[in-house]
Amino acid sequence: MRKPLLGAIIPVSFLGLWEVSSRAGLLTLESLSRPSDIIEAGYAGLRDGSLLLATLQTCETALLGLALAAVIGIAVGTILGLAPTAERIAGPTIEALRPIPAIAFMPLALMMFGFGVGLEASIVAYACVWPILIVTISAVRAIEGRLLEVAAVLELPVWKRMTKVVLPAAFARINVGLRVAAAISLVVAVTIEIVLNPRGLGYHLVLAQQSLQIGLMWAQLVWLCLLGFVLNLLLSRLGGGSGLMWRPL
Amino acid sequence: MQPLRKTVGSVRPEKAEASALEVSGLTVRFGARTILDGINFDVRDGEFLCIVGSSGSGKTTLLRVLAGLARPAEGKVQFAGAEISGPSRDRAIIFQDYSKALLPWRTVRGNVALSLEARNVPASEQDAIVDELLGIIGLSRAKEQFPSQLSGGMQQRVQIARCLAQDPKLLLMDEPFGALDAMTRQSLQDEILQLVADKKIATVFITHDLEEAIYLGDRVIVLGGSPAGIMETMEIDLPRPRNQLTTREDGRFLAYRHRLFELLVQEHPPQAFEGKGQQ
Amino acid sequence: MRRLLDPINLAAFGFALSLIVVWQLLADAHLLSPIFFPSPLRAIEVLQYRAFDGSLWTSLAWTALRMVVGWLLASIIGIALGAAIGSFRLARVLLNPTLEFIRPLPASAVIPVAILFLGLSNAMSLTVIAFGAVWPVLLASVHGFSSVSPQLADVSNVLGLKRHDFMRKIALPSALPDIVAGLRVSLALALILTVVTEMQSSLPGLGWDIFFAQRSYRSADLYAGLIMLAVLGFAANHLIMLFERRALRWRNLGT
Repeated sequence: MRKPLLGAIIPVSFLGLWEVSSRAGLLTLESLSRPSDIIEAGYAGLRDGSLLLATLQTCETALLGLALAAVIGIAVGTILGLAPTAERIAGPTIEALRPIPAIAFMPLALMMFGFGVGLEASIVAYACVWPILIVTISAVRAIEGRLLEVAAVLELPVWKRMTKVVLPAAFARINVGLRVAAAISLVVAVTIEIVLNPRGLGYHLVLAQQSLQIGLMWAQLVWLCLLGFVLNLLLSRLGGGSGLMWRPL
Repeated sequence: MQPLRKTVGSVRPEKAEASALEVSGLTVRFGARTILDGINFDVRDGEFLCIVGSSGSGKTTLLRVLAGLARPAEGKVQFAGAEISGPSRDRAIIFQDYSKALLPWRTVRGNVALSLEARNVPASEQDAIVDELLGIIGLSRAKEQFPSQLSGGMQQRVQIARCLAQDPKLLLMDEPFGALDAMTRQSLQDEILQLVADKKIATVFITHDLEEAIYLGDRVIVLGGSPAGIMETMEIDLPRPRNQLTTREDGRFLAYRHRLFELLVQEHPPQAFEGKGQQ
Repeated sequence: MRRLLDPINLAAFGFALSLIVVWQLLADAHLLSPIFFPSPLRAIEVLQYRAFDGSLWTSLAWTALRMVVGWLLASIIGIALGAAIGSFRLARVLLNPTLEFIRPLPASAVIPVAILFLGLSNAMSLTVIAFGAVWPVLLASVHGFSSVSPQLADVSNVLGLKRHDFMRKIALPSALPDIVAGLRVSLALALILTVVTEMQSSLPGLGWDIFFAQRSYRSADLYAGLIMLAVLGFAANHLIMLFERRALRWRNLGT
C-alpha cells in the first residue's frame, strides 16, 4: 500500500509544481503549457475522435508491417532452421544487413512507394523481420530430432510436416520473437510518421509542435506513453498463455 | 599482522583458558518461527569447537549470529568481553559455497588482497603478505589464476587465505569441506588444524559429518530439536597432533562416534547425517 | 587461415557476392529500374568519389561523433541511475513507477519536444539519442546491481568494507557483465536515433546524406550512404565486443 504512494511522490509533486508555478506566472515559457491545459487538450482530442483516428492509423500500419514480417521471417527462418548449411551460407549476408538501421531505408521506400501505408508498413516489416527470423531459426533448430524422425517415418508430405510438427513444436519460442517485434513495430511506425509520413500519431505530434498547440503536443505524448504501456502489458500477459496450453510446466 | 611461522606448532594450547566467545540464552527467530532456543556455550581461547546437527537444525543460523550477520531475538553473544553488534574483521567466516563467496573477476592474489584493502594495509606491503599466505596454504603457483580456473579444494583454500589475511581472532567455518572429495577433504582438515594451532585462533566449525567433528574438535556440541537447542556437549579427549589413520582407529574415537550417532538417530532417520559431502 | 578457406565460408562469401553480381547484371540489362536500384558499381563509384573529395569522412565523423557522445551520455546516466535503483530500496520505490511509465514511449516521440526546447541543434540530437539509448543500459544495470550475490554482500560486511568500497569493488564488477550487454544494445539504438535526428533536423551526417540523396533522386548516393551506415554499425558492434572480451576475460576461462 505504501509503495505505490511513494512512487507517486515524484510525478505528482512535479506536476503540482508545474501547474502552480505556471498559474502564479513564475513559469512563462510557452513550451511548458500547464498540466490542466494538457488534460483539456487531450480530452478534446479524444472527444472529436482525432486522437483515436490517428491511433488507429498508426496501429493498422504497424500491424500490417508486423504481419508481413511474421510471414517472411517465419517462412525463411523455418527453411534456414531446417537446413543448417543454407543457414551458414546465408548467415554472413544476414549479419551484414542487420546493423543498418531500418529507418535509413525510409528514403528508399519513399522513392518506391510514395507517402502512405506502403512506405510505413515496408519499413516496419524490415525492422521487425530480424528478431522473428533469428528466433525462428533457433526455435526450429531446437526441435527434438525424434519429432522430425517421427514425421519422416509417418511419411507426412512436406506441407503437413510443417503445419503438424515443425511449427507447433517451434511456436512457443517463435512467440517470443513476435512479442519483441510487436514492440518494435509501434516504435518504428511512430518514428516514420514523425520524420516523414503525413499520417498517424507521430505526424499529429509534429503537427501540434509546429503549429504551437503545445498542450495538444504534451497530451499526445502522454497518450503515446499510455499506448506503449498498454501494449507492453498486453504482450507480457499474452506471452504466458497463448499457444502454450499444451506445454508441461 | 602477526608474522606467520612456517614451522608447525602441533600441540594444542592448554584447555581451561579464558573464554574468547560467550553465548548465553541465545534465541533466534525468523518471523514467528523460532529457529534457536536458549543456547548457552562458550569458546575458549585457542579452542577448536565443532557443532554438529542434522540439516535444518539451525547450525548455519547460529554461525551467522556469531559472525554478526544475523541478529538474536534474545540473549547475549559476547566476544573478547564486548557484546557483538555487527560483523567485524576480528571474526572471519568461511562460507560453504566457496564459488559464490570469491570475487570471480579477481585473481587468487586479488581475492586475498581484498582483506588487506579492507584493513587499509598500504599497497606496497600487500604483495609480501599475500605471497606469504599463499605459500602457507599451498597456492603460490595459482597466484595469477582466476577462481573459475581452480578446483573446488583450491577455491576453498583461497577463501581460507582471504580469511587469514583478515588477521582474525576467531575463525567461523560453515561446512567448509562439505562439497569436496574425500582426499581433498582430509588434507584440508589437517591443514586447517595446523593453521589455527600455529596462529592460536579460536575456531567454531560446523559440519554434519560426525567423524569430521570428532577428528577436528576439542569439543563437539550437538544441536537438535525444534526449535534447536544444545542436546549434548562432548569433550574430545584425543591426542594431538591428530592423524588420519591412528586417530580414526583409536577406540575412544569409535566410542565418541557411537555416542553421537545414537544421539542423532533418536530424533531423525539415520540417512540425514551419515552421508558425507552432499549439497 | 584454414577457417577462411573452409568450403562453407567460401560458399557464404560466394552467396553474398552472387547476390551483388545478379543485381549488377539485372541493372546492366535494364531489368531493374535504375531509379530504385542503381547498379552496385555506381554506389561504389559514389563512395570512391566522396572518399576523395573528403565529404564522406566528414559525414561519417559527424554521425559517429553524435552516436558516441549520445551513447556515452546514456551510459553514464543509465549506470548511475541503475546503480541507485538496483542497490537502494528507497531509490527503487521512488523512481520505478515514473520510469516504467516513460519507458514505453518511443524515443523518436520526444523529438518534437526536444526541438521545442533546444531547436534544430546538436544538443537536441544528443538529448534524443541519450533518452532513447538510456533504457537498455539502465535496465541491465538495475538487474546487475540488484543481483549481487548475497554471499559477496556477507563477505563485504565481515570485512567491514565502506559503502563506496562495496559499490566500487564488489557491486560494480559483479554487475559488469549485465552492464556491458546493455551497453551493446544501447549503442545500436544510438546509431538508429542518430540517423533519425539527422533526417528530421537536417543535421550533417550519413542520415542526412541518405535523406538528401532521395530528395534529389540520386539513388546511387543513397546506397552509398546505406553501405557506410552498415560499416559503421558493424564496426561499433565489433569494438564493443572486443572490449567485452577484454573486460570480462575472467568469465570465459572455464575450468
